[in-house]
Amino acid sequence: MRRLFATALMLLGLAPAAQAQETFRFTAIPDEDQSRLVERFQKVADYLSDTLDVEVEYVPVKSYSAAVSAFRNDQVQLAWFGGLSGVQARRLVPGSRALAQGVEDAAFHSYFIANTDTGIDPHQERMPDAFAGKSFTFGAKTSTSGRLMPEYYLRERFDEAPEALFSRVGFSGDHTRTIALVESGTYDVGAVNYTVWDAAVADGRVDTDKVKVIWETPAYPDYQWTIRGDADARFGDGFTDRVRQALLDMEAPELLESFPRQGFIPVDNDAYAPIEAVGEDLGLLR
Amino acid sequence: MAESAAPGILRGDSPGLRLARRSLALIALCAVLLPFADLAVVAHDPWAELGRMAAGLALPHWRELSSPLHAIGLTVSVALWGTLLGVLLGFPLALVFFRSRLVRAGCAFVRAIHELFWALLFLQVFGLSAVTALAALAVPYAGIFAKVYAEILEQTPAAAADSLPPGVGRLSRFVYAELPLVWERLAAYTRYRFECSLRASVLLGFVGLPTLGFHLESAFREGHYHEAGALLWLFYLLIGSIGLWAHRRLLPLLALGCLFLLGPWPDVDAGLLWRFVSHDLWPAPLLNGDPAGLVAWLGAIPDLGPAIGNTLLLGLMGTVGALVIALLLWPLASRHFGNRASRLGGSALLIGLRSTPELMLAFIFLLLLGPSMLPAWLALALHNGALIAFLAARHADGVEPGMPDLTASGRYAYELLPRIYPGLLALLFYRAEVIIRETALLGMLGVATLGFHIDSSFQYLMFDQAFFLLLVTAGLNIVVDAVARRYRPREVVMDDPCSR
Repeated sequence: MRRLFATALMLLGLAPAAQAQETFRFTAIPDEDQSRLVERFQKVADYLSDTLDVEVEYVPVKSYSAAVSAFRNDQVQLAWFGGLSGVQARRLVPGSRALAQGVEDAAFHSYFIANTDTGIDPHQERMPDAFAGKSFTFGAKTSTSGRLMPEYYLRERFDEAPEALFSRVGFSGDHTRTIALVESGTYDVGAVNYTVWDAAVADGRVDTDKVKVIWETPAYPDYQWTIRGDADARFGDGFTDRVRQALLDMEAPELLESFPRQGFIPVDNDAYAPIEAVGEDLGLLR
Repeated sequence: MAESAAPGILRGDSPGLRLARRSLALIALCAVLLPFADLAVVAHDPWAELGRMAAGLALPHWRELSSPLHAIGLTVSVALWGTLLGVLLGFPLALVFFRSRLVRAGCAFVRAIHELFWALLFLQVFGLSAVTALAALAVPYAGIFAKVYAEILEQTPAAAADSLPPGVGRLSRFVYAELPLVWERLAAYTRYRFECSLRASVLLGFVGLPTLGFHLESAFREGHYHEAGALLWLFYLLIGSIGLWAHRRLLPLLALGCLFLLGPWPDVDAGLLWRFVSHDLWPAPLLNGDPAGLVAWLGAIPDLGPAIGNTLLLGLMGTVGALVIALLLWPLASRHFGNRASRLGGSALLIGLRSTPELMLAFIFLLLLGPSMLPAWLALALHNGALIAFLAARHADGVEPGMPDLTASGRYAYELLPRIYPGLLALLFYRAEVIIRETALLGMLGVATLGFHIDSSFQYLMFDQAFFLLLVTAGLNIVVDAVARRYRPREVVMDDPCSR
């Protein structure tokens, strides 16, 4: 019986290693519009498959934490992470590397937006004192642009926790929802990813008479592609470099619009040191 | 004065009066504690967003759905096999349930953790796969089935077994003289649980398993309300038509067919499993034998006092709210009131309220009333109240009115309610446990309940902290369940096992 059990364990343990050599898996959660993920990212998978000459499969996930878990457990080998989730993932999988970031991600911003009923003037030089006592919503709890960096700049400006500054602090879970909640006045102030805001304004999905941008954070690095450190050993020497090149060469608009980014540029782990420091400061990393 | 007065309206020792006193005490307790709840209403302008939602529900965009059939199939498959596996695990446990304290404690523990949190745990090991989905349903359901089956089996009439000649084996006696007598009730409960598991299967989509909820959550969260509306209608239809497609004779075929839809099956990696169970779930200082570190670790846990307080308060408010809603709504779906059209409308309303995920109800109220405990309260009360109302209406339909000339309100107050109230209240006390579990879920909305912190811990990948908080939640649930059982109407023999 014991031998049977041991054999079963061994088979279970060996199975993934044998299979992983056939298929290279990746995941990606765009910062907006997560509808028809599989359909859209299948095109990216096809592109990577043609360029890299291995079978490539897209694995849809729902949250940053699920993406990190999948990466850590080797259920995906490549992932399009947010700033913070990328740091989480690289800390959990030693040897993994940031390969490329979006053109927009080298200098990403968050907007602080406020309902016009608050009477706070738009486009200020620094965060207004009028924030005190208002209600405030972040986006998702581990979003770099909707939580991490906004909280960092709030603490830097007011030198206290958001819970102490604001009358109430919520987590809307999503940038689109942050905009809707501030537009409706449910929350007075919110922090939102600038690309999501700009896209919503361009599409006319926001009533800019009711909600306005109050302040813009300084630039910080955000989304990036990260690959596991053992990719070369499993998919052949130089595989990591080929993946990076394939990402940098991705130019077709119908591929890029899924992220949505104008293109990809090289990046390395060190670029995200500021994010890591802030994450540790806020107790989101340990 | 008090001594000389006639007995007050609530004095006396009849079961009915006892129930009335208990109900009023519960409501009074809730009223006394209400000032401690955070119930601010923020005036603002929700109508644009609510209008978009209503338009989405009124004009669903069916074409925008990507592979809805697959999502429906997977939802049904996960629900069906989750329930079946729950039965397979739960039935043997039911046989030893009252004999083993260990089994009872184990079942109470697995029951006390919400399906979604089980899913988040299994997700770390099995990834987004059928194993995660099935285990997330089967594990807590095994605990529920064990308890409910055991209670049903305990009430087996003994006459048939007593009449057997001596020397008949234990197994034969069980199979021929006991099981047939309770079979109908076991089956009825299993059917009811299947509907619950359909709802849970949709919810599993919220953490990323590609059931209906996967698309529903994305569409709703990102404001694609026409798509969300279409998905919600699909779900209502699925729940509303259970009676048509989940026929007893069709089930074996359905179960076989569903096997092909389940998937993907993950490569179960024993190393991952071991790492998760032996390492990830435990505080690092504990594993390293570092007592000072352990103190620091405990210090980093979010404030438990307010979280437990909020959880209990919201649970109590939800329970009382559900009682009020159930009392108001059950006549809508009962054959004793209204006409065919009003009953159809009433049943549809109850299906809508009990099938719309609480998170969505809560979001609608969040827009209407602003951020506080109020949206969560209303969502819990409406969802659970509608569920109890539906079961109470079915109970009332089995009652033959003996006073045909009564007006509708008379029928409600003097004829039907007295007969169904004990059952309704028993149901509510069973449901209290579920409501506490669900408050955890609404924590995700920003109400700082235990569930809010559990969700955070999972997102920050601090599984040790999540596990610790889950243990606290489970402990709390077990205590609440024990208290509810203590005050549950004992007089009523629950003849409808579907009531839990």
